[in-house]
Amino acid sequence: MNRPLKHVIAVLLGCFTILFIQLNRVQVYDAAALEVNPANTRTIQRDFNRPRGIISTTDGVVVAESVDTPGGLFDRQRTYPHDDLYAHIVGYHSFTFGADGVERTYNDALVGRTASQELSGLTDLLEGRNPVGNVVLTVDDDLQRLARSQLGEREGSVVALDPRTGAVLAMWSWPSYNPNLLAANSGTAANEAWTQLVEADGNPLRPRAYRDIEFPGSTFKLVTAAAALETGAATMTEPEFEVTDAYTPPLTERPLTNSGGATCGGNLTELIVVSCNTGFGQLAAERVGPPAMVDQAQRFGFNASPPFDLPNAAESLFPVDYGSVVSNSSDEIPAGVYENTPALAQAAIGQFEVQSSPLQMALVAASVANGGVVPSPHVVDRVEDSVTLNEVSDISPGSWQRAISESSAAALAGAMVQVVELGTARSVAVPGVVVGAKTGTAQLGTDPPASHAWIVAFAGRPDGPPEIAVAVLVEGQAGNADQTGGGVAGPIARSIIEQFFQ
Amino acid sequence: MRARNLELGLLILATLITGVGYVTVSTSQSATTASDVTFDLQGTVGGFLAVVLALLVGTHIVIRLVTPHADGMLFPSAAMLNGLGYVMITRLDEGLADSQSAWIFLGLGAFCFVLVVLRDPRKLERYRYSLAVLGVGLLMLPLVPGLGATINGARIWLRVGPFSIQPGEFAKIVLAAFLAGYLVDKRELLTLTGNRIGPLHVPAVRHFGPLLLAWGVALMVMIAQRDLGSSLLFFTLFLVMIYVATSRTAYVFLGLVMFSIGAVVAWQLFGHVQNRVNIWIDPFADAKGSGFQIAEAAFALADGGVTGTGLGQGTPKKIPYAATDMIFAAFGEELGLLGATAILVTFMFFVASGFRVATNARSPFEKLLSAGLTSLLGFQAFIIVGGILRVLPLTGVTLPFVSYGGSSLISNYIILGILVRISHNSVVQAVAEQDANARAADGVRVGSEARADWEVVGS
Repeated sequence: MNRPLKHVIAVLLGCFTILFIQLNRVQVYDAAALEVNPANTRTIQRDFNRPRGIISTTDGVVVAESVDTPGGLFDRQRTYPHDDLYAHIVGYHSFTFGADGVERTYNDALVGRTASQELSGLTDLLEGRNPVGNVVLTVDDDLQRLARSQLGEREGSVVALDPRTGAVLAMWSWPSYNPNLLAANSGTAANEAWTQLVEADGNPLRPRAYRDIEFPGSTFKLVTAAAALETGAATMTEPEFEVTDAYTPPLTERPLTNSGGATCGGNLTELIVVSCNTGFGQLAAERVGPPAMVDQAQRFGFNASPPFDLPNAAESLFPVDYGSVVSNSSDEIPAGVYENTPALAQAAIGQFEVQSSPLQMALVAASVANGGVVPSPHVVDRVEDSVTLNEVSDISPGSWQRAISESSAAALAGAMVQVVELGTARSVAVPGVVVGAKTGTAQLGTDPPASHAWIVAFAGRPDGPPEIAVAVLVEGQAGNADQTGGGVAGPIARSIIEQFFQ
Repeated sequence: MRARNLELGLLILATLITGVGYVTVSTSQSATTASDVTFDLQGTVGGFLAVVLALLVGTHIVIRLVTPHADGMLFPSAAMLNGLGYVMITRLDEGLADSQSAWIFLGLGAFCFVLVVLRDPRKLERYRYSLAVLGVGLLMLPLVPGLGATINGARIWLRVGPFSIQPGEFAKIVLAAFLAGYLVDKRELLTLTGNRIGPLHVPAVRHFGPLLLAWGVALMVMIAQRDLGSSLLFFTLFLVMIYVATSRTAYVFLGLVMFSIGAVVAWQLFGHVQNRVNIWIDPFADAKGSGFQIAEAAFALADGGVTGTGLGQGTPKKIPYAATDMIFAAFGEELGLLGATAILVTFMFFVASGFRVATNARSPFEKLLSAGLTSLLGFQAFIIVGGILRVLPLTGVTLPFVSYGGSSLISNYIILGILVRISHNSVVQAVAEQDANARAADGVRVGSEARADWEVVGS
């Protein structure tokens, strides 16, 4: 019986060999992937009892800190002194639900675990200090408060950033939530709060400003105009588009109309100033074409995740498939027409399947103001050592990518200034400040009619470069008149700009 | 006596490793009040080491007196696994650790009892049919209304006063003894008779039938009790023993076919079997729900990495059933790849020693019994560790000697006692044969010289 016994030994040896291989796979090869699995709450649990740095705004207002809770379930509890005001930036640090926002992306820095912090930690250990990282935001408390009060209880978002650096100056979305409820040390209280928030109207947990995408409406015409300038399909003065109240793209019977049945046309500057649907539709369908439109949208950052320092930033979408070129056998179809060119005419004015986050539209305005370069958006300015207050790491993300040439940017910026002086965005004008803007009213096709009111803007002193770019979206406003964007969203942008330059 | 000295050395090593683990766990758990630590430690750790040493050396002395020629690796391997397990249970749940220390006492007591009482395991062969009845009876006991209790979905428990007993743990040993006796008895018939189907020799049903019946009853009972792990284990035991007894691959082939059919039928019939398989395929699809246990185990292992978080530094309490079925994941987290590998290697030492006992056993019954019991523990370790590592669907069985659990620990020590006893008897029998041969040949070599030779071989 010893011969079959040897076979059994061999089989068991094989079984254990499989265990060794798999053990190495799980503990070494797959370990990194398992660490970042969304269901893995171990890192946060491990960190929960460790000291954690303060998060404050650029003007020194503390927005998140840990307080000692002697005798509690944990040694410390995270508190957020301003309740809902910074929820969509700072997020929460909850034992039960993990972390979101800066609390999540800068977790290692807050607990003092980044490589540079651990290096300096060696001497700290000898000196008996236990430093953690304090995170300083780029956000300005005054602007953030103003954004909240200006938007009021209307679903929407306000994003303001420095077009030169991408530093976010204010980012507010309504509805928001109180992160103190989720950070509660009592698991049952936190669970109840979570359930209520998940079921609440308007999904308060979701930071609309960077995780939601909506029709951008006419603000998207900036991208179409940029594509025309970059490809040479048009200049600001040439050609002149037909003055009309309806444009029917090739291959369809359905005409594109202007808001309120208005008649418009003229050169590109005039199209931008009055936000002329018919002119932009024709420009995109007959002169720019799908490849150049897709390329331009993507150079502004569409169809890609923005390099943002908050988790899960939404990808803004510009449709890429327009079929193939229609063969030009008859003279009735102009050259360069694609099977789905009618959709492109819609996309050119921010309808069809174009969807953008407020953050992305702020980046479009910022690129125009920044000489054509899209800045890298970020909410954290620096991390400081909690004991020495020395800067541990400087966040200098630089720029994301170039969207358009400097000359195209200058031309578009000029047109946007005219929109404020003469066109649909007169509500944004601020005395003594150069403001450029573009409004948008994205009709939702509902009954009774409702639309998203948009504005994107930049502003600077007369003798200097633009210092702030703003995007405002007020969702689901009654009516669909073209004035909605300028009328509803415009005043919010104006008060932000006014406050900034005071 | 080389085997005994090796055993004593290894036991001291196991004591030291267990002691270091215990110190680490104690300091990390009372670290909040640093001033008390040193004071507490001197008392508790000193006492702990004394108790461990006393238990192991005491048991060693019993082995020295009762079975002096026994294998020297078996008991130290088991003691190492048991000590490490105890340290981890202390780290996870001090209340469980208190009960576990009682189970360890009882386990070692059962071990010594088996050594003393079971002077000749071959006598068990005679009672094989009684053993079959006893085994099946033990298995079915929890199904008796009033006696049995359902814990965590499995009806495999007996409530006796404040204690819960798993009679199935003991049924495995009894049924292994039955199988050994039955197979030795019917070996020739099972090997030689039968029909040929293609390349396979198929046994005659009349010899195969009773075996099949016993196996079927046991399996049905376990399915009724929702104890998939034990079903799988018992099936493996059956296959191993019949293959070792007959050398016929046809049985393995038939068994695998039967298993496949059984698996498909079970999958069709039982929702909980389907769940297990789905979780096995993708535990992360519902990582907060049905896949929680496996997902948490994977996260724990990933957290541990190569060197582990250190004893007391990780969060293994997050893993459901960390002290029982999932204890290997807790080791992977806190001792890392290195510690988890050490545990598997210790199991391999144990299994290798067990198979060496089987190889050297003089009677077919003892050979088959020791091979079966060793396979039982070896495959049990594979089934639970493989379940945790997603090599196979997770089925709840304990990690022998390591996991918390009284019935499991005591039955493991009974198995250990049988193996140690067989290893001793083999040497004694061999020496007796050698003496007889020597006397028959020329009478020049005297027994004492021959005995010295055999000690080397047997150790």
